[in-house]
Amino acid sequence: MRIGMVCPYAWDVPGGVQFHVRDLAEHFLARGHEVSVLAPADEEEGLPAYFTSSGRPVAVRYNGSVARLTFGPVTSARVTRWLEAGHFEVLHLHEPMNPSAALMALWASTDEPVVATFHSSVVKSRALQAAQPLLRPSLEKIRGRIAVSQEARANMRRYLRAESFIIPNGVRVDRFRDARPREEWCGTAEAPTLAFLGRCDEPRKGLGVALRAMRAVLDEHPTARLLVAGPGDASVLLRDADPRVVRSTEVLGVVTEEDKASLLASVDTYLAPHLGGESFGIVLVEAMAAGAAVVASDLPAFTDVLDGGRTGVLFETGSADALGHAVLGLLADPERRGTLRALGQDRARVFDWGVVADRVLAVYETVIAGAHGEPDQPTPTGLWGRLVRGVPGGGN
Amino acid sequence: MLDLDVLQAVTFVVIVLIALAWYLSYSAARLDRLHAKVEGAMSALDAQLVRRAEAALELANSGALDPGSALLIADAATASLERTTEHPLTEDLLDGQHFGGREGVESDLTAALRAALPDDVVAGLRARDDELVTDSLDRVAASGLRVRLARNFHNDAVREVRRVRAKRSVLFFRLAGYAALPEPVDFDDELPLALAA
Repeated sequence: MRIGMVCPYAWDVPGGVQFHVRDLAEHFLARGHEVSVLAPADEEEGLPAYFTSSGRPVAVRYNGSVARLTFGPVTSARVTRWLEAGHFEVLHLHEPMNPSAALMALWASTDEPVVATFHSSVVKSRALQAAQPLLRPSLEKIRGRIAVSQEARANMRRYLRAESFIIPNGVRVDRFRDARPREEWCGTAEAPTLAFLGRCDEPRKGLGVALRAMRAVLDEHPTARLLVAGPGDASVLLRDADPRVVRSTEVLGVVTEEDKASLLASVDTYLAPHLGGESFGIVLVEAMAAGAAVVASDLPAFTDVLDGGRTGVLFETGSADALGHAVLGLLADPERRGTLRALGQDRARVFDWGVVADRVLAVYETVIAGAHGEPDQPTPTGLWGRLVRGVPGGGN
Repeated sequence: MLDLDVLQAVTFVVIVLIALAWYLSYSAARLDRLHAKVEGAMSALDAQLVRRAEAALELANSGALDPGSALLIADAATASLERTTEHPLTEDLLDGQHFGGREGVESDLTAALRAALPDDVVAGLRARDDELVTDSLDRVAASGLRVRLARNFHNDAVREVRRVRAKRSVLFFRLAGYAALPEPVDFDDELPLALAA
């Protein structure tokens, strides 16, 4: 199948949507499909062969946050050229509501059946409301909508009044399943180890909650250790924390993907004390795949990933007491930890790219079948015909 | 002076009429396109329903199931196939904007599959390592997923048509012509987890 994918965010900056597009594209390439990805990029050198740049990204403030996007006549020309050269059987746009390459590809697309994946940024926006009459005919070109989570789906219902099918984010489960435990990170019955992953200085990742919960843990297991991995400066939080907790905390800083997998495979319990703003919870899937017993806040996205709490322990979001209690319960019960590990590894398979990509392919096939099943439309002829039958931006 | 005023007025009226004519023709073409999209989505749904019923029938006749389960599935699958051959959507007078009352039959097939193929039974069937059985299970699962996708996308297209058709200009100028108002298709298509593709 010839697949054209468009990512709205700068390709050379790490981010959830970019990784999603990259992994999906590479998965399809490995299966023998033809894939071409269009996205903004600063440098054209060193980018993969399947990649085409839509132009240099510009940092702009849109809908309350700064994003690096491309727009303007240069992007428009590049998008049109890319579409014409690609002869795609299906066009897969990611986050098409951002003013960037994906929206422009939707605008410029002609005959290709269009699939759109909505990640998280569909939120109430004045721009979206104001531009409805302009965008609506282009949006009607979308034949299949995918949401990556329940939350993304609910937002689309609310703000775009559109239905969507949920296909979760994928994880390279094998990478985490085959991770080897590292001895220095493994806990013992007297000195169990706990792991926290994520930016230390971003409050919504919840390191503060974990540090407060550690006090209760140390009361029963004085030699327990909390291993903290991730970018950011933890010193501010540690300065205000209980000295006992500070002594038991090891800050590992930024770790490689491989070390992250090993860390998750080594520790007794993985903590996800996030306070909100998570639309999916990929790190939970990674933890389950690596075989960690998971304790997570009861955010809607996390509850989904943990199958309603069947494959991990949920606690009241933001409550250090509840987290401490949950951790102590798990540490006292090795048998339950073993069950959770097994259930978690099983659950993680649902999110494997193999499974996820098959579903995406089923979406492609369904929209292509729909496009073929349409009665033939008259081809617009003459100026009036083109004016009447054209969708703004081009195409039919 | 008077002459000029008349000329101006005529020009103005002509421009307004041309703009109105463009807007109405454009809206009609847009509606046409949306109706075509519904029709295409319906034909995709129809094709997958046939595949699902055929795969289910093949599974029922494979001899791997107990006779009770086999009969249950065969009965529901045959009912579904009969409805499609009796009322092929391509010959539907309503141009594929309606499902022809097949909801009940398809819900029944889903229910039969769910009752006869709980997760542990599917695991047992797959463990037999019989190529025919595994293949028909895979096809039931694959077409089951595609049925859900096609129904979801179809209903979304229906919503778009209905939104445009509710507009006052469309109602007043009867831009929809005699095209039937498409209805969302609602039936139970939730297969058990073991049959999720």
